[in-house]
Amino acid sequence: MIEFEIDGVKVKAEPGETIIQAADRAGVYIPRFCYHKKLSIAANCRMCLVEIEKAPKPTPACAFPASQDMKVFTRSPVALKAQRAVMEFLLINHPLDCPVCDQGGECELQDLSMGYGEGVSQYTERKKCVDDEDIGPLISTYMTRCIKCTRCVRFGDEIAGMPEIGAVNRGEDTEISTYVGKSVKSEVSGNIIDICPVGALTSKPYKFTARAWELKQHASIAPHDCLGSNIYIHTASNQYQKGREVKRVVPLDNEKINETWLSDRDRFSYEGLNSENRVTRPMIKQGGKWIETDWQSAMDMAYQGFAKIVEMKNPDAIGGLISPSATTEEHYLFQQLLRAIGTNNIDHRIRQIDFSDSMDSPTFPGLSINIEELEKQDTIVLIGSNIRHEQPLAGVRVRKAWKNGGKVLAINPVKRNYNFDTAKEMTVGISNMVPFLSEVVKALADKYKNKRFIEWLKDIKPSQDAIDFAEEIDKGVETAILLGADSLSHPQAGAIKSLVIAILAILQKGNYGELTTGANSAGAWLAGAVPHRLPTGENDSAGLNAQQMFSQPLDGYLLHGVEPEFDVANPQQALTALRYAPHVVVLSPFVSETMKDYANVILPIGAFSEISGSYVNVEGTTQRFRSANAPMGEARPGWKVLRVMGNFFEFEGFDYKDLEEVQMSFKEESDDDRKFERPMLYMKQDFVAHKPKGLIRIVDWPMYRVDATTRYAKSLQKTISDEERSARIHSKTVKQLKLNIPSGHMVEVIQNDESIQVKLVIDDNVPEKHVYLPAGLEETAGFGEVAGIVEVKIP
Amino acid sequence: MIQKVKMWAKSFTLFELFKGLGITWRNMWRKKITVQYPEEETPVSFRFRGVLALRRYPNGEERCIACKLCEAVCPALAITIESEPRADGTRRTTRYDIDAFKCINCGFCEEACPVDSIVTVPESHYHMEERGENIMTKEKLLAIGDMFEEKIAKAKKLDSEYR
Ligand code: SF4
Ligand code: SF4
Ligand code: SF4
Ligand code: FES
Repeated sequence: MIEFEIDGVKVKAEPGETIIQAADRAGVYIPRFCYHKKLSIAANCRMCLVEIEKAPKPTPACAFPASQDMKVFTRSPVALKAQRAVMEFLLINHPLDCPVCDQGGECELQDLSMGYGEGVSQYTERKKCVDDEDIGPLISTYMTRCIKCTRCVRFGDEIAGMPEIGAVNRGEDTEISTYVGKSVKSEVSGNIIDICPVGALTSKPYKFTARAWELKQHASIAPHDCLGSNIYIHTASNQYQKGREVKRVVPLDNEKINETWLSDRDRFSYEGLNSENRVTRPMIKQGGKWIETDWQSAMDMAYQGFAKIVEMKNPDAIGGLISPSATTEEHYLFQQLLRAIGTNNIDHRIRQIDFSDSMDSPTFPGLSINIEELEKQDTIVLIGSNIRHEQPLAGVRVRKAWKNGGKVLAINPVKRNYNFDTAKEMTVGISNMVPFLSEVVKALADKYKNKRFIEWLKDIKPSQDAIDFAEEIDKGVETAILLGADSLSHPQAGAIKSLVIAILAILQKGNYGELTTGANSAGAWLAGAVPHRLPTGENDSAGLNAQQMFSQPLDGYLLHGVEPEFDVANPQQALTALRYAPHVVVLSPFVSETMKDYANVILPIGAFSEISGSYVNVEGTTQRFRSANAPMGEARPGWKVLRVMGNFFEFEGFDYKDLEEVQMSFKEESDDDRKFERPMLYMKQDFVAHKPKGLIRIVDWPMYRVDATTRYAKSLQKTISDEERSARIHSKTVKQLKLNIPSGHMVEVIQNDESIQVKLVIDDNVPEKHVYLPAGLEETAGFGEVAGIVEVKIP
Repeated sequence: MIQKVKMWAKSFTLFELFKGLGITWRNMWRKKITVQYPEEETPVSFRFRGVLALRRYPNGEERCIACKLCEAVCPALAITIESEPRADGTRRTTRYDIDAFKCINCGFCEEACPVDSIVTVPESHYHMEERGENIMTKEKLLAIGDMFEEKIAKAKKLDSEYR
């Protein structure tokens, strides 16, 4: 520890720490532009000049390391003069039109020139002007305002791995540019809006619509991935508006989860909240026509339908699917309602198709280390994970680990475009995921002479690739094996999990993680929104799971925040089952034509900013949040709707007065402190390769098509490229199929007798004999299942 | 004693009466200050804060850039602005309402405006007949601005000397 003085205050610092870091901790403010606590030091703006005793000149505090007994002055005449001069230089080429600038009112340059600048400038010559570039639908640029602090460039290099942004030319002529004027394509690009100290980079969807001073700030939790990033929702309102409107979302610092960053999905998805597809009044279908009605009659119709099924048939003919992004309270009430009706057909695992490990699964799927610790791993093994798109900020952590010298290994069905290098990356297709993994396990078992596993996998002969891969895993000291969405929705997900657990068991070290889909998978498990487990954690006689509910059609469905044509693993089957079902009740913030087709009652519920509740993230942390604005129109928070539905049935235990009571009841029933436990070793899998005849369809959900709110967010939709909407096929497979057309032409894809036309993209990142065609798109709405067999021809 | 004699003399000569009549006489010849409103009007200072208006540039472009400073400064919360990028990418209001019933004609908005867009015109002749007319919309305010542009420009010029 070093001790020194800033403005007469004694301050402590670690050796090697800079003056500004120590000052920040001690609460002494030193003005700065280029310094950012999460980025490397550039020391190019000179705003942080301070006087140091016995130093000949003012010194930049952001780059100068603290040393024992030095005396620093931030407000001495020398320092003040330096600050004023720097400010004058910075303003030479900066336009002085704050009133039109979107940063006005929250601009670091504005603030510092008020605080540290001089009132007049001696500069009367012409100012420099810089052309703007269109860098995509999310970020708007006004490059003349740029003060060349290079924060954005360093963010691109160091955090996001988007080298598109750079500084060109030198000195006076320096410009920040994307070199070739292409748009910035990164899943975390929005952060440059926050870190840009001036109005050079601002948010496009928010552009010119509000001012910082009219916004009200509400702390909340991001609802799209399993990390639970902390956010601020900013709302505004005026006398003509009923309620408050969400204007933007910005990150709330939380070192443990999102640091100071936020993914673009979490940042821009709020646009969906104000979409015209919001449903604002309860709707019922009568004689094939939709009419808007009041809550009383809509709820009554919803209830009558279910009551009739219970009476005529039995409660098991009813099933419920809930979105994994619903709050824990909603999950809890959802299962309480259905279990009170008398059915165990409850599930939130809408994208899963293999449920063979359900009974053995731990309290909830998650991560055995903290999110924060991800970046400290020296070996990270990604299994079927497009982490950049699935959990962008976990991707940032992995990239950090890689930058710190860690190595990343990957096994994927299709080659993923990572922003870090992989030491070894296997692209094995759907069919070879399990065989390859079992070879790796075998190689490790052989190496460690572990009889039990050698016996278990006696028919397996590891290939050289598998031996190398095993060797790489074995070298790691701090290892994390992460399963992504491609593994979890794999037809042999159970086998993949058991093999991963086997690896960890053989190595006797390493960390395990399932990066689940949705924001609250963990909460759903804890609350008992699964067919076989109660909120108490006990296994129950299992009902139907998400897959079976559609493969064995039921009479009544209760859907909560799910759009089956996009969201589930087998949209085609789901739609068929729903269309035949006599009674379908949907609780959703949005309505679509497809929904009107299959539903009988649509009950509007609040979207993410409009509800209070809690999410449990992948590491098991419960985070509570409050609503930022009132639900749109007559919509009500989901938990209230479920509670009142319970009253219609006259069930006991449904007279919660507020959300706290729901939380209390949940807490009483389940042990709230249940922590993540690593899944137990279970070895009953047989490892037949999933090798159906024909072309296998690789399915994932594009980053901005994961849930209804994102799908209705306009600007995010504009960033989806044509390529992502196409069927991608390996060039050799294209030849075998005799598709003599180039990329960009239409092909017909047929799955289960249904056909759609999409563009063809010849892409050698896709393994042979596979077709990579994502779900969740308009093109593939209601189309066939994950990992199904498809045919491709020229239409 | 002397006092008493003075008083006595004054009351006999009707001195006080003539003194009073003297004032009447003087005022009879003074210039009249009564103004025969509405035929006549008192002169109005160029700083008089009358009806509100939004101005345009000589080329017809509206001045307002939707910075919302006037909205923020207005002590009576009389101004409501909504803004959006216009098709040409500039920052513009889509709604600019002033509630004339709330407005206390303090002129703060005029002081705050960086582009001399919202102004209080030295003009007091305006009235409302119907409920709802108190909401001065953007169109109305711009029309008033167009109507009085000459007057506003003159007032601004005279005022500039004191700034
Ligand atoms: S655009 Fe903003 S962040 Fe980037 S260099 Fe310029 S001022 Fe800095
Ligand atoms: S004159 Fe004063 S009260 Fe009237 S709108 Fe302007 S700021 Fe508000
Ligand atoms: S009238 Fe003036 S102060 Fe008010 S928003 Fe327009 S430009 Fe800004
Ligand atoms: S903050 Fe120190 S030089 Fe920019």
